Amino acid sequence: MSHDAYIWSIIILMALANFTLRFVPIAIVSRLNLPEPFTRWLSYVPASVMGALVAGEVLRPGGEYLLTLRNPYLLAAIPTAFIYHRTRSFLGASVAGMIIFVGIRALLV
Amino acid sequence: MSLIPQTPNTAKTRRAQFTRGLGLGMPIFLGYVPTGMAFGVIATSIGFSATQAIVCSATALAGAGQFIALNLMKERAAVLAVFTATTVVNLRYVLFGATLSPYLKGMSLPNQAILAFTLTDETFAVNVNDRRTGASTGASMAGVGAIAWTGWVAGAAAGAFAATLIGDPSRWGVEFAMPAMFTALLVALAEDRRHVLTAALAGLLAIGLPALAAIGIAIPSSWLIVLASMIAATVATVVFR
Repeated sequence: MSHDAYIWSIIILMALANFTLRFVPIAIVSRLNLPEPFTRWLSYVPASVMGALVAGEVLRPGGEYLLTLRNPYLLAAIPTAFIYHRTRSFLGASVAGMIIFVGIRALLV
Repeated sequence: MSLIPQTPNTAKTRRAQFTRGLGLGMPIFLGYVPTGMAFGVIATSIGFSATQAIVCSATALAGAGQFIALNLMKERAAVLAVFTATTVVNLRYVLFGATLSPYLKGMSLPNQAILAFTLTDETFAVNVNDRRTGASTGASMAGVGAIAWTGWVAGAAAGAFAATLIGDPSRWGVEFAMPAMFTALLVALAEDRRHVLTAALAGLLAIGLPALAAIGIAIPSSWLIVLASMIAATVATVVFR
């Protein structure tokens, strides 16, 4: 297989896989009446996913443990959380977080 | 409970909701452009044409899934191996889809398909949070999805065409764009003590589970988020009755 055909076949399969994974559960589950324990379980999913994502991104950036106080991700995440809590602005908190991150990283070098 | 007046679902209201969604998704756009650029730069460096990089981002819209695919393709991994890896890393969409489903009851399949297509970590969290405050509609979710998709594709295009001009994107703090947004979304979604504790447990698991490698239990990193959040949600369901 040429490199071009190799890349195209992966692009097509990835598109199919990603759409199927996203669409099938919505199409099926939204047409069911879910039992109460399951809906309660689902109500905890968003906070759980964000907790897991943030912990991973901040304490294991790039898949390597960085459990020190000289961790710019950790030092920038704390004020980012505080800024969002005060302003309730995703945009403001994200931009401020990136600026703080660049600043902290420069200081730590 | 809802004090929001029921407005008729006219075309005008739908357009207003769509526009509101575009605004809600703006931080996602800002985060996706630089991350999408990184994808475009790396993809072209391993042999993608600019068209291929853009089509890939436009059709897959899968951040981590796309980067993992690039990693494997660099070593010329088998098509099936790349396909499996990107599927596994995106299994959490099954969870997200199921979580969103109660909001999407009664919506037509084509409309559900559009929302499903633009379902990502970020659009999921923004829509769930918006839904909590009672304002979210199908049109606003479509707006969030549209702006997120635009950012991701525009980023890939910029990265693929201007790789040499952009240089090292880390200069701009790009690697903190996603963590910053996730942090803000976490604060938004952990609304009460129960959800704070659940999120904390999921975080501990996400950090603790990889350490099991020391005793011979190696959990593939693509499973970490799914595993940690499913365990935490299960514990919460059992403990908080």
